[in-house]
Amino acid sequence: MKIGLEIHVELNSKSKIFCSCATQGSNVPNTRTCEICLGMPGSKPSFNREVLHKALKVALALGCKINKESFFSRKNYFYPDMTKNFQITQYELPLAENGKFEGINIRRIHMEEDPGALIHFGSITLIDYNRSGMPLIEIVTEPDFKTPKEARTFLNKLITLLEYLNVYVREEETTLKADANISLEGGERVEIKNVTGLREIERCLEYEAKRQEIELATFKETRGWDAEKGVTYSLRKKESENDYGYLTECDLPMLELSDTLLNEIKKEIPELPNQKIKNFIDKYKLNKDDAEVIASDLKLAELFEQISHKIDAKIAANYLRRDLLGQLEYNKLQVKDLKIGEHGVKDIGVMLNLYQKNKINNNILKTLTIRLIKEGKIGEIKEQVSDDSQLKKWCKEAIENNKSVVEDYKKGNENSLNFLVGYVMKLSNKSANPQKVREILKEMI
Amino acid sequence: MNVNEYLSKGKNEVKEIIKEAREINKKYNYFNYIDEDATGGKGKLSNLPVSVKDCICVKDMESRAGSLILKGYKPVFDATVISRLRKEGVAIIGKTSQDEFGFGSFSTNTDNIPKNPIDVERSTGGSSGGSGGFTAITKYTHVSIAESTGGSIACPAGFCGVAGFTPTYGVVSRYGLIDYANSLDKIGVMAKKVNEIKPVFDIIRGYDEKDSTSLKLDLNKDEKIKKIGVIKETLNVDEKIKDAVLSKLKDYEEVSLPLVEKYGVTAYYIIALSEASTNLAKYSGLRYGESLDLKGNYNEYFSDVRSKFFSTESKRRIILGTFARMAGYRDAYYLKAMKVRNLIIQEYKKAFKKYDVLISPTMPIIAPKFSEISKLTPLENYMMDIMTVGPNLAGLPHLSVNAGFIGKMPVGLMVIGNHLDDNKVLKFGEKIE
Ligand SMILES: [Zn+2]
Repeated sequence: MKIGLEIHVELNSKSKIFCSCATQGSNVPNTRTCEICLGMPGSKPSFNREVLHKALKVALALGCKINKESFFSRKNYFYPDMTKNFQITQYELPLAENGKFEGINIRRIHMEEDPGALIHFGSITLIDYNRSGMPLIEIVTEPDFKTPKEARTFLNKLITLLEYLNVYVREEETTLKADANISLEGGERVEIKNVTGLREIERCLEYEAKRQEIELATFKETRGWDAEKGVTYSLRKKESENDYGYLTECDLPMLELSDTLLNEIKKEIPELPNQKIKNFIDKYKLNKDDAEVIASDLKLAELFEQISHKIDAKIAANYLRRDLLGQLEYNKLQVKDLKIGEHGVKDIGVMLNLYQKNKINNNILKTLTIRLIKEGKIGEIKEQVSDDSQLKKWCKEAIENNKSVVEDYKKGNENSLNFLVGYVMKLSNKSANPQKVREILKEMI
Repeated sequence: MNVNEYLSKGKNEVKEIIKEAREINKKYNYFNYIDEDATGGKGKLSNLPVSVKDCICVKDMESRAGSLILKGYKPVFDATVISRLRKEGVAIIGKTSQDEFGFGSFSTNTDNIPKNPIDVERSTGGSSGGSGGFTAITKYTHVSIAESTGGSIACPAGFCGVAGFTPTYGVVSRYGLIDYANSLDKIGVMAKKVNEIKPVFDIIRGYDEKDSTSLKLDLNKDEKIKKIGVIKETLNVDEKIKDAVLSKLKDYEEVSLPLVEKYGVTAYYIIALSEASTNLAKYSGLRYGESLDLKGNYNEYFSDVRSKFFSTESKRRIILGTFARMAGYRDAYYLKAMKVRNLIIQEYKKAFKKYDVLISPTMPIIAPKFSEISKLTPLENYMMDIMTVGPNLAGLPHLSVNAGFIGKMPVGLMVIGNHLDDNKVLKFGEKIE
């Protein structure tokens, strides 16, 4: 089985690719538009250098050869979401070619504009041009994937890389779009157009692999993906390639890249995920699993590095994976929702130090973590009570108020002791050291 | 009154010229739109009446490039040339008639056909016909902002007996110009006399960040003329035209530009039509201009709109242009034409090593009668551009200046200059005039 992907990535530049409309902001349809992204007669595109900058970062990070000269072309076809009935893209000479990432060969990377969005209401279709002119790069791989799972793993790693480069914002899973092609041995190549989201890309490839196993593709075909029914369907048989009548976009000059610019951009490329993982294992002595989980999110990785200045790396990693990620998940939040500043980092250090010295218990740690997530800092930390005379007072109260439970314990019911420990914890407002409480209770009973 | 005198005296004849335009338009069809309320203001061009070719966007003023498909389209922005002119106090009096999208040499490919100011049986030339005709006929001080892709300023200037200047490609911003062929389109100026062009040209020229093909370079300062070359191949015309042109020159040498002669028109039309066919794709009756009742699917709908509102000539050019860039034909046509264009540029470069300006008649004929035009085949029509396509393909500044008359009808002389020698061309034109 051979699988290849054409991945469309929306870059996070401030303005659109050929005009100065904002890429973020109002979602009221057709409010982030101007004469250029609406393709009004007389308007002309101007290329946004920030898009070039970000695209080059990706190309360099994926080990591509950069074309020092490239240009834009018009890809001509009629469709209502296209304001000009042609899309400005790169064709003969793309920005970059021949890269490699995670063992997969990258054929080319080019820049282009996104069309508008069609919104269907029954028999009526409306058009929102807010998306028109949004900056895209298309990353085309060679058909090097052997399974749908491989493709998905690759996409996950690619997204992490893009986040590290600060060129892409992972909104929801659905923001990544791809065309996937798949062929089985002895069969023809089938392309599935416009699949949205990582999970769907894997699903549609799995479906298509099974379909072709039953009936080998005997002709080239373009298919669509019905996510609801979970099936692909034929769009057109591809006896001949679509003829887009490509023409040089004469409103935009040749894109000439200087060595100075490329060197500048090379310097901006930060430590990338794989280097980070290696670093976490070698320098911070994390196990591979911890290293990979923490490095899979730039923000988490940076938080880890900051905390590790203040506390043992393994404790830091353990805290982030078990407590912080756990609480985030429980509250249906993501790492990107965290707003932990310098103070917050310092607080985490103090908190973990106390925890390590057994001066706060798990309960307190949990409460503090929730506060950290909500407020971005922890503030005052109440240590747990380990003072014997105070603990004894609470234990005495617990025994007196639960005579029958004490009797049960005496008869050998270990669970009864847990109940009593819990009772003391409640009395202490969760501040008692539970180990000590257990010991004292045993002693007293 | 000459523009320079009008400005120095601080005149204001905006109201009068609008009244005149309205009267003249009844007979001559020079305007697609007249702004009755136009007013000027203060600046380097205080209260100068300016007409604008229909294909140049003027905010809130119908700008339809001579086409019915854009009927009712009022741009939400001013073209860069318009905003620069407005800042200097001009009054935009209206939009002049033209061949639809610039497709023609006689301004006959449109619903509002301008008539030659000297003989209404004849054409003004095109595609900036309204600009040429009104510039010639008005009694008042006035300039027109026109546009040339393959000779659309020089041709009507020649046929109407006025001065028409097309700058070096990229010297004047195209932002706000409704595209014909992006790599060829240039905005220029028409006036009764050559020396009226510069004050306006100096305002509209210069780098514009909104047009990525506009040049950051300055114009060349050297305006001295040492050697004049007359393009040999262009003298193969009516003796009277040849004589009128040569009578204006003292010392000159003949110079041969065989490639321009042989391949110019072909290369020009392949490139221009390829680009035009993509530029015209946006007119689908969805967002502006004419529309029809929604019926059928998208393909059926936009096909209906385009069938109904594009002229035959536009359809011809869309089909030819689309053909020339299709996968199997691109190499044979479009890419080859681009190579020829480069060779033609080289040929001019070589000539300009020796000569300061190159001279030819503007058009191979005098303004033809409409009855003659209707008998021309499309190919004969396209061959009318044989003199003007060269400098347009090469993006060189050129000026048509009146060289005399055959009977009542004017003969144009064309001065072609090297890249960025715009001022030299204007200077030489003044001398000839
Ligand atoms: Zn915009």
